[in-house]
Amino acid sequence: MTRKAYIDWMESAPRWIVVFLGMYLSVHLLSLYLWHSTGLPFSIPGTSGTSFGIFGAGLAGAGLWLCVVVLRSFPAGAPLRPVWILLALAAAVQIAPGALGALLGTVSLLNGVAWTGYASPDWMERMQRFASLAGGPLRLALLAAAMLALLRVLRKFGYLAKPCAADRAVFGIFCLFTLCRFCEAGAASLAGRPIGSGEWISLAGLPILCVLYLEAMLLRRAVARMGNGLIARGWMALVYAVLLTGAGEAVVWAIPHYPQSLPLAMFGALIEISAAAAYALVPAYLVAAQRHAMNPAASRPEDLATGVPALAR
Amino acid sequence: MHPKIARLIAYCDAETGADRGGRIARHLSDCEECQERLRRIRGEKEELSAGAGAPALEPGQDLDAVLSAIAAWREGRDGGAASKLTSRLQWQLEKYFGVPAIRRLERPGMRAEEWLGETNRMLEVFLGPEAGEAVRDDCLRGLPWARPARETSR
Repeated sequence: MTRKAYIDWMESAPRWIVVFLGMYLSVHLLSLYLWHSTGLPFSIPGTSGTSFGIFGAGLAGAGLWLCVVVLRSFPAGAPLRPVWILLALAAAVQIAPGALGALLGTVSLLNGVAWTGYASPDWMERMQRFASLAGGPLRLALLAAAMLALLRVLRKFGYLAKPCAADRAVFGIFCLFTLCRFCEAGAASLAGRPIGSGEWISLAGLPILCVLYLEAMLLRRAVARMGNGLIARGWMALVYAVLLTGAGEAVVWAIPHYPQSLPLAMFGALIEISAAAAYALVPAYLVAAQRHAMNPAASRPEDLATGVPALAR
Repeated sequence: MHPKIARLIAYCDAETGADRGGRIARHLSDCEECQERLRRIRGEKEELSAGAGAPALEPGQDLDAVLSAIAAWREGRDGGAASKLTSRLQWQLEKYFGVPAIRRLERPGMRAEEWLGETNRMLEVFLGPEAGEAVRDDCLRGLPWARPARETSR
């Protein structure tokens, strides 16, 4: 691949992510529609949990790679460097549920350890638990720290604003959901029903997700004051990613309460995939902006530059 | 959705097609913000065209008058470069951040150097130093502005 082709590819990274996500969602929504119209579970290759895990891990891998590309362009001391370090770490641990959970935590052809006979059910369960912990509370904590650092930089530039009523409402709804989850877990515990490790991990991530929601609302307001440029779009993708993560959490919680769990489970997985794509879009937009800046040929129309009155903007 | 500045300028110059022109006209009839933007574009264009000509010299003027006319012409030429640089910087800010970011930076009587400094500071922080520098170099290309960005931004 020539350098120009590489730059062109990098510049169109956000478009590629959106196109892949669109194709993936279309196929799965079609299978969901067929399931709904025929009333029978419609199975097509690649709609299993493993495929969700692998596709999610692939998106996280792309996000990690793009984060590293961005990170290399911010030298030590740059105000946004800590943000990109934390986002790269979050992307790295996001790979864990897909790679460890779907590949090493299940008996499949892709699980090399299963071939050796070392992968006992206990070992696979531990792998699944570790994957859930890394992809849950740990990743959310890294994201919360990254967003906090980002909000500090935005405050220096005067972009930070108080959240509006709608932002507060969204945050309040999620806080209520968290409270309900804790109450439910408490009631179950009092009734003597054991709480699984997966549920504990999920509960541990919820308060962090509340903090993330608050930060996302503040970031949304800050980005709205910035505009709709390439950099602003990248940060807006982070806001959507956090909102989708919360929505995915709510759907996962709703699955056992719903009689027909298959479509809801698939819907939840699609939300998680969309969230993974949104996380990957954050560095993708910045890489696109950087490549656009480094390769300005034909990006600035000369006639516009000479003809635009200063006050017109 | 508001039309972009470039579209409004093209509309102002009657360079948009019939369809797009119609769409912009319909939008303008409802949007006060865009009406205001169009008024400003027209006002600036008139200002620019009024001040574009070189100063006329009356026959019989002495050397001082000639020199001051040359100085005025030079000043006018530099003013053109400053306006060009400002619009380039604003175009870059719009591309990477958005129009509200420009409005937040804008102050009455803001000079091109100040625009350069502010734009450079924002791009260096949010886009990275190397890419920010590339944008600055692109904006300064072909203009009589040799000062490095760091010097102007501090």
